[in-house]
Amino acid sequence: MKLNIKHTIITVAIILIIIVAAASYFGNSKDTNPTHLVVTSTGHMEEPKSGFNSLTGWGCGHLNFNPLIQSTLLTSDANGNMINDLATGYNISSDGLKWSVNIRNDVKFSNNDSLKANDVAFTFNTAKTSNSQLDMSNLDHATAIDEDTVEFTLKEAQSSFIYNLRYVGIVPEKDYNNETYGSNPIGSGPYKLKQWDKGQQAIFEFNDNYYGKKPYFTQITMLFPDESSVLELAKSSQADVVQSPITGLNQTIKGYHLVNLPAGRAQGISLPYINDTGLKTADGNPIGNNVTSDIAIRKALNIGLNRQEIVDNVYHKFGSPEYSGVDSRDYGNSNATISDNNIEEAKKTLDEAGWVDTNGDGIREKNGQNASFKLYYSSEDQARQSLATVVSEQAKELGINIELQGTDWDTIYKNMFSSAATMQQTSSDPYKSVYLQYHSKEAIDEDYMNPNSYNNTEVDSLLDKAKNSTNQNQSNEYYKQAALISSNSGFGPAGDAPWLWVATYDHCYFVKDDIDMGDVPKNMGQDFLQNICDWKRTNTTT
Amino acid sequence: MKTTKKTNKPWTLYHANLRTKTLVIISISSILLISIFLSSYLIKPDSIITNFTSANQMPSLEHLFGTDWMGRDMFTRTISGLGLSIGVGAFASLISTFIAIVLGLFSSFNKFTDELVAGIIDLFSSIPHILLIILVSISFGGGFYGVIMGVGLTHWTPLARVLRAEIKKIKTSKYVKLSKEFGKSKLWIAKNHMLPLVISQIIVGVILMFPHAIMHEASITFLGFGLSPHQPAIGIILAESMNYLTSGFWWLAFYPGLSLLLVVLIFDLIGENINKLLNPQSAQT
Repeated sequence: MKLNIKHTIITVAIILIIIVAAASYFGNSKDTNPTHLVVTSTGHMEEPKSGFNSLTGWGCGHLNFNPLIQSTLLTSDANGNMINDLATGYNISSDGLKWSVNIRNDVKFSNNDSLKANDVAFTFNTAKTSNSQLDMSNLDHATAIDEDTVEFTLKEAQSSFIYNLRYVGIVPEKDYNNETYGSNPIGSGPYKLKQWDKGQQAIFEFNDNYYGKKPYFTQITMLFPDESSVLELAKSSQADVVQSPITGLNQTIKGYHLVNLPAGRAQGISLPYINDTGLKTADGNPIGNNVTSDIAIRKALNIGLNRQEIVDNVYHKFGSPEYSGVDSRDYGNSNATISDNNIEEAKKTLDEAGWVDTNGDGIREKNGQNASFKLYYSSEDQARQSLATVVSEQAKELGINIELQGTDWDTIYKNMFSSAATMQQTSSDPYKSVYLQYHSKEAIDEDYMNPNSYNNTEVDSLLDKAKNSTNQNQSNEYYKQAALISSNSGFGPAGDAPWLWVATYDHCYFVKDDIDMGDVPKNMGQDFLQNICDWKRTNTTT
Repeated sequence: MKTTKKTNKPWTLYHANLRTKTLVIISISSILLISIFLSSYLIKPDSIITNFTSANQMPSLEHLFGTDWMGRDMFTRTISGLGLSIGVGAFASLISTFIAIVLGLFSSFNKFTDELVAGIIDLFSSIPHILLIILVSISFGGGFYGVIMGVGLTHWTPLARVLRAEIKKIKTSKYVKLSKEFGKSKLWIAKNHMLPLVISQIIVGVILMFPHAIMHEASITFLGFGLSPHQPAIGIILAESMNYLTSGFWWLAFYPGLSLLLVVLIFDLIGENINKLLNPQSAQT
């Protein structure tokens, strides 16, 4: 009897082991086709809730990247210069109000319909009214002049309108339905959507009608994992390109190498610029802060902060110090920067402004007001959490108390007008990254553009000039000037210092050793799939 | 002579009687808890600073519990997290006891109040506890205050139930009826006859409420309600450590989790031993 039980137990154990072994062996059947690529998409490039619709944010709006399914009028070369894609050329009228763009006449959508000028006009006219983060308020209308010419009429001249030609994916006019297009997208890009498992992955396959260079990879699987579990996909060799969270930067994964692509992703802290006078936004959120509205506090923080140390520690050297939010752009002003890590100078600034620690608690006071303010950060974002933590530690040395509040974005959006918040600037379009960020007309509205109510009429007039300039170089010059007008004017840290920009943080990816990414366009690291048609797998045996 | 010498042997824990043993266990456990609680208040926020050069270090003599991804010492973080938990637990017990006593005595007034109290207790215990805590803490505006109120306002039901049952029993006793005959007020009876008799239930109930409150505080901070991720709370530490288990940083979850377990067990131990002291007849079972 006892022997029987023993035998039964052993048999059951053996069967269990065999089942587990077989399941782990067969269940993990891997796609071994070398022309299939698996990438992850997390963070700002998370799964698009409204689908792969370029008019509701896919590829453009909050973050600009290659929409894969749609193609754009212009694209970027390896140096980051804009070159023709769908367009064959464009002309701007002398007053800058009319842009006429010629497009290729040999392009077909993935459903075999031809792409004509009226599709382009439709895309832009619809994007103007779609409730997305695309800001097309300056576009009056777009019209198809003939089959391959489209004309954009602007309300005011705007040289940066070119960024819309660069990033808005063209959708077909025929049968376009805003509700269903996102899950059944039709476009003229290199890939078409094969399958979308919501919450998990999207599979793209090669679009036979694509007019450009035929890509090596015939299928791309885009996984949408949680940021916390994304490294797991690399460790188990399940994905070819994995976006590394900040905590993965000091790790090594067998079979992968870490690629850091600069992108001008500036991270910093917005400091409310005006006093708290009881003013409220339309939704009743308080505006202004009596501590950060003092220029001495903002300047002292900007001067006293050790940015290089933060880049080395928090970002593991995958980044560089950032001063104005747009340092790495063509329109960034290198003169507007300051020499930081100067604690003595920062303390002197505070002393002279009357911020003195009289009660010996290590925090300065002025007229009974403690040099203390709240800093909100998104609790999901570890980069911002460590940035906020380290900045608050460094500020304490200057006698400024930064009280951290880690929370969700809804709470941040309510409090960003009256408290500091960790923010990020990713756009290469100066209209977004400078004009909307620092122009006073963007102050005191409910969005995150100019959250700290910065207002300076001199800056405003330069920004208006820059925006309306017909010449992009001239426009960039105006943007540069706006960063530093004089030692007490300008949006840079040497001027009004309305922000505490800290670092640009490269986009970092764990890339499988056998993937050849080609020449990724300069300073566009968020858009790692930009040159997907140049990608190859070098080791085709796996 | 020899035998008397043996019985006169100096006092040892082993030969001590049950009462002494119980007292020793209670005092040692209490000292341990009080020292954790007090030391968490001696830890200044400044001492939990980041040091990226020593991030993700294994436990060592310098960092007993290792360090986390920002190089913060996990031992100090854990202790201040436990301090917070014990504080929340103490507060929750206080509020809960107060509510339970008031409701328990209120139930003794008449049939209607008794039914009312029973109804309130049933109402609160019919909602899943974690859900109730989350609801209460959000309605109090979230944050630290929300966590305290959420845990504090939801733990009184078991104690109130016990008190109500006990009071019902006492109500049927002869001396209560006698007092009534003599024209004593209901409040007088509640104060002088019932309260003294349920005191031991209350003390034990309060101490045994601590572990529940602490576990619930850890649970809701683990779920991400209330506190910011940079604040040291046991739940937050554990939630954060989940991200690093795959990287092999086991100490981030192990020691804080073990410490939480220890604190909860110690409270349990104290509660049971005090119960033995106050209700000696239960000690033998």
